[in-house]
Amino acid sequence: MAAYLMRRSILGSHQCLRTLSHQEIVSKFSTTKCLGEIQKMTRLHVVDNSGTGRIAEFTGRPPRCIHVYNKTGVGRLGDKILVAIRGKKKKAFIVGCKQKQNFMVPRFDSNNIVLIEDTGMPTGTRIKVPIPSSLRGNSGEFTKILSIATKFL
Amino acid sequence: MAALGNRVAALGRIRLLRSSVFIQCRYSNTLPEATVEKHRKSKLAQDPEESETESLVAPRDYKYVYPEFLPDPKPQYRDRIREKLEHEDMFRRRTVLKIPEFYVGSILAVLVSDPYAPGKKNRFVGICINRSGHGLRSQFTLRNVVDGQGMEITYELYNPTIQGIEVLKLEKRLDPHLFYLRDALPEYSTIPFDFEPVPHPPGATIPVNPVKVKLRPRPWHERWERQDLQGLQDLELPERFYERAREVAKPWEKYDLMKQYRESINDDDAAKIMGYVYKKIQELEKTKER
Amino acid sequence: MLRFRYRFRQRNLPSAEGTGSGPAGRISKMRKLVTALIRHERIEGKHPYLDEARGYAERLIDEAVRNGDQHKPTMEIANYWLLEKDLLHKLFKVLVPRYENASTSYTKMWNLPTVYPGGGYHMALLELRNNPWPDVIPQQREVKNNLINVLIKAAKEDHEKNQQLTEHKQSEFTDQSTDTGTTTSQSP
Repeated sequence: MAAYLMRRSILGSHQCLRTLSHQEIVSKFSTTKCLGEIQKMTRLHVVDNSGTGRIAEFTGRPPRCIHVYNKTGVGRLGDKILVAIRGKKKKAFIVGCKQKQNFMVPRFDSNNIVLIEDTGMPTGTRIKVPIPSSLRGNSGEFTKILSIATKFL
Repeated sequence: MAALGNRVAALGRIRLLRSSVFIQCRYSNTLPEATVEKHRKSKLAQDPEESETESLVAPRDYKYVYPEFLPDPKPQYRDRIREKLEHEDMFRRRTVLKIPEFYVGSILAVLVSDPYAPGKKNRFVGICINRSGHGLRSQFTLRNVVDGQGMEITYELYNPTIQGIEVLKLEKRLDPHLFYLRDALPEYSTIPFDFEPVPHPPGATIPVNPVKVKLRPRPWHERWERQDLQGLQDLELPERFYERAREVAKPWEKYDLMKQYRESINDDDAAKIMGYVYKKIQELEKTKER
Repeated sequence: MLRFRYRFRQRNLPSAEGTGSGPAGRISKMRKLVTALIRHERIEGKHPYLDEARGYAERLIDEAVRNGDQHKPTMEIANYWLLEKDLLHKLFKVLVPRYENASTSYTKMWNLPTVYPGGGYHMALLELRNNPWPDVIPQQREVKNNLINVLIKAAKEDHEKNQQLTEHKQSEFTDQSTDTGTTTSQSP
């Protein structure tokens, strides 16, 4: 039971921390500042106006990354990932990262993604938040994402 | 290492036989540390213009207006030749770009050249939450909330792609950094892109904004209750957090004179550097008047 | 600005006040040593401890010399570092005038021999400059005007004078001989 609670608390469920007395769990280990990397099991934030994304946010079960389509396993700006959303697998593009970025590249408060269909067409019709201007250099499949963006910074 | 040296020497000999012209070649493109150290300790690196700079005394606040001219206090990173060259580069950059005076808490607009933007320019407005780095590598971070999305951009102060830095509101805050705005309610860091510049008469004292920020409930990025921050409202935490903060506090660091001395450029050195900066800035202003 | 060679990294002195006393114990030990130094102007102890305390003492005196006793933060710092409060008067009224025009460090450190049998510690002695105690290495007594030295000096001078006279005579003689030699060789 204790091991289960430990795991839950490491994964970021703050509820069990609040309900139990703090001497039991909090003092057993220390945590460092979050890296904010997008890797497997990272919770994400859908920023297009698709219905799936909105409902996933609303029900309190945000999409999770289940695979990153690159060799490092860490999703960077413009990378394609596979997400688990509302019990289904969907592909998505990363359009904003929480982790530290290069100079002149914006760092966002949440890990933003835009959902795409298997055909490569975006699920939504509009991106609600600004996306980094450096993404405009991307070509290929990503140009369809750029066409539905509203603001570049 | 010795075996490698022998092999390299053998290769050199072969080359000598073939070409019959001896060319002394370097087998590595890095200088050994001992050579660099020797030149660092040479008399050339020991402030040759000492007598010139001594006569000029900069105003007291120059240390805070131009903090990027102060070198890194870590002794292993000090290199007087490099510092001097960097200062020259920084003044050369200042001849073409006006880098204004600003502080943590000031509202800035930065214009950057962007190859993908329609007008080849990109403008970002935000509140400066941090200034760091030394010399050419000095940097500052702007934060803003656009369309409900918090975002931060870090700029290098002397990056050649910066086309302009405009101070929209010149003011200070109560803290040396404002990283806690990440955990604050969004209204504290929301700045419209058409923010009207607030005029600041030259020579007037910099106003300090006494605003106290209200944070969202936990979880936070850092344990703010353990840091000595003035610009935060009551954090409304259970008593155990404050107890723990008291346990891990280091109240003696305020009086640890040697720690402070090791982690900063001492007054005499800073005065010397700022005297040089003062001279150069005056020269710059004279050339601009012409 | 410190005018002596200080370490770039501090010694943590983990057992400054007993094992596990930590950084709080270290700073407490430093305060005691600085207070003792200002009180007695010369203290003896283990080298690493005194070397660390030296920096703090130098910085404290430097702050006092720079800012004077009307500067509130300096007074606060001095109040923290000097555990015996009568030393505040000594710092600002005795030491500040003493070191106002100093061009060297305010303190001086000496190596002492290791005590044997003992812990084998590197011992040292830390003192304020221009203190009222006798010098650590006593100055040599003036022996120039001792009777024996005066007599020896006079005898030496006499001897030198005599030697010069004899040399002069010899050189005159040799000059004449060389002159004649040259004339004979030139006339065929």
